[in-house]
Amino acid sequence: MSFELLLGAWVATGLTLFIFTFLYEDNPLFKLAEHLYVGISVGYAIVKTYDTVVIRLIYEPMVKQGDWSLLIPLAIGMLMLARYVPKATWMSRIAFAFIVGVGSGLAIPRVVSSFILKQVEDTVRPLASMVQGNPTFSFSLADPASNLNAIILLVGVVSVLFYFFFSIEHKGPVQVAARTGILFLMIAFGAAFGYTVMARMSLLIGRLTDLIEYAGPSYGRPSLWLAAVTVVGLVLWSMKRRPQTEPTEE
Amino acid sequence: MTFAERMLKIDRRIIFAVIGLCTLLPLLYPVGLAIRISPEVKAVHDYIESLPEGSVFLLSLDFDPASKPELYPQAVALLRHAFKHNLRVIGMTLWLPGTGMANEVITRIAEEQGKVNGKDYVFLGWSPGGSSVIINMGQDLYKAFPTDYGNQPTKGLAVLNGVQNLRDVSYVVSLAAGTTGIETWYVFGKDKYKFELGGGCTGVIAPGLYPLLRSGQINGLIGGLRGAAEYEVLIGQKGRAVAGMDAQSVTHFAIIVLVILCNVFYLSIRKARQAQGQGGHS
Repeated sequence: MSFELLLGAWVATGLTLFIFTFLYEDNPLFKLAEHLYVGISVGYAIVKTYDTVVIRLIYEPMVKQGDWSLLIPLAIGMLMLARYVPKATWMSRIAFAFIVGVGSGLAIPRVVSSFILKQVEDTVRPLASMVQGNPTFSFSLADPASNLNAIILLVGVVSVLFYFFFSIEHKGPVQVAARTGILFLMIAFGAAFGYTVMARMSLLIGRLTDLIEYAGPSYGRPSLWLAAVTVVGLVLWSMKRRPQTEPTEE
Repeated sequence: MTFAERMLKIDRRIIFAVIGLCTLLPLLYPVGLAIRISPEVKAVHDYIESLPEGSVFLLSLDFDPASKPELYPQAVALLRHAFKHNLRVIGMTLWLPGTGMANEVITRIAEEQGKVNGKDYVFLGWSPGGSSVIINMGQDLYKAFPTDYGNQPTKGLAVLNGVQNLRDVSYVVSLAAGTTGIETWYVFGKDKYKFELGGGCTGVIAPGLYPLLRSGQINGLIGGLRGAAEYEVLIGQKGRAVAGMDAQSVTHFAIIVLVILCNVFYLSIRKARQAQGQGGHS
C-alpha cells in the first residue's frame, strides 16, 4: 500500500474520531478537527480558484493563445475590487449592475417556465380519463398519473393555498380548507424529516464503514490506535478541567 | 420523579450510544435484508440501458466530500454501468470543493473497467459560474472547458468526437447535494437544449425534487444511500451502499421505537398531571 493511502487513512480516522468526540462534549480535539476542516476547505478553494480562473481561463488563453478579448470581462470583474478604495467605490456598482442584470435576465424567464408554468401544467391534470370513448377512473395510489392521485394533488394544492390566504378570516368552509391544508403540510414536513433522518444516518454509516475498513491490519489498524488515543486524550482533558470547574459548582 | 420523567430526562449520550451501536453492529454482522427497487431508480438504469453503445453520457458530480457517504456510491454505480455499457463518459463538477474527489472516482472506476482517458472518458473538472457554465456548455462545450482536469486541450479528444455542445449529449445525470445541481441542470440545460436529464441526490433534498420527477422534468431520481443500494442491485454489483442498508434499517427501527417511547412517556406524564390537577380541584 502506498504511503499516501496510509497517511490518508490515519488522518481521516483521526479527524473522524476527533469530530465524534463532540457527542460526548465540546472539547479541544473536536475544535482542532473543526478548525482544520475550515482552514483546509478555504485553502483548497483558493488554490483551485486561482488555478482554474486566473491561470487556465484568463492567463493562458490571453498570453499563450492571444485571446485579448478576455480583457473585457476581466476589467468588469476587477471593478469589484474598487469597493476597497473608498473614493472609487462607485465603480464597483457597474460590475454589480452587470451581474444583477445578466443574472436576472437569464434566470427569470427560465425559472418561471420551469418551476411555475411546468408545475401548474402538471397540477392541472384530467380528473377522469377517456379510454376508447368511455370515461374511466383509475384508483391506483402507486401510479403517480392515476386519476385518484390527480384529485389528491388538486385538493392538496388548493387547500395549502387556502392556508396561506390571509386576506379573509379562516371561518366556515375556508377554515375547513385551511385545516386540510395543514394536514397536507404536516405530511410533507414528515416526509422531509424522514428523508433527513435517513440522510444523516447515511453519513454516520459512511464514516463507520471507513472506520471498520481502517481497523484492518493492512492500514496498521489506525481506527483502534487512534480510538485509544482519543479516549485517553478526552480522559486527560476531563481530569485537567475538573479542578477548575469544581469550585465554581460549590 | 416517575419512571417516565426519568426516561425523558435521560442523558442524550445514551441515545447517541444506542444509535451508534444500532449502526455499527449490522455493519459488522450484516443480515442482508431484501432491497426493493423503486420505479424512479429503475428509470435511470433503464434509460442508460436503452442508449446505444458509444452514446455520450455526462455525469455532473455536484457535491462535496460532506455528502460523500450518500452520493459517492451513486457515482460508482452509475460509472460502472455506463462503462460496462460502453458509453462515452464526460465527467465534471459544478462544486469546487468536490473537484479532487470527482476526479478520483472517475479515474478509479475507469481504470477498474479498463477504460482510457481521452478515448473512453474525460474529466473536465470545475469551472466557475454554476448556471453560466451550463449555458456556456449549451452553446460551445470547448469554450466552457478549453482544457480538461489534467490541462489537456479538450478539442480533438476522441471521447468528444462529434460533441459540440449539450445538444449532442444523450443523457445527463446530476448527482447533487443542493444547489447548484439537478434543478439548475433542468432550468438552464434541459429546458433549453433538450437533452434527457436524470438525477441523484442526498436524502435531505429528495422530497423537493419529486415534483420534477412527477412532471417529467427529470426522468428518474436516485435518492440517498438507499437509491445507491437499489442501483447497485440493478447492475448486479453490490458495494458500500448495499452493505449500509442493514444498518440503515436497524437505525430507522431504533429511531421509530424511540419516537414511540418518548410519546408514550410524554402522554403518561400529561395524563398523570391532569389527574393530579383534577384531584387538587376536588
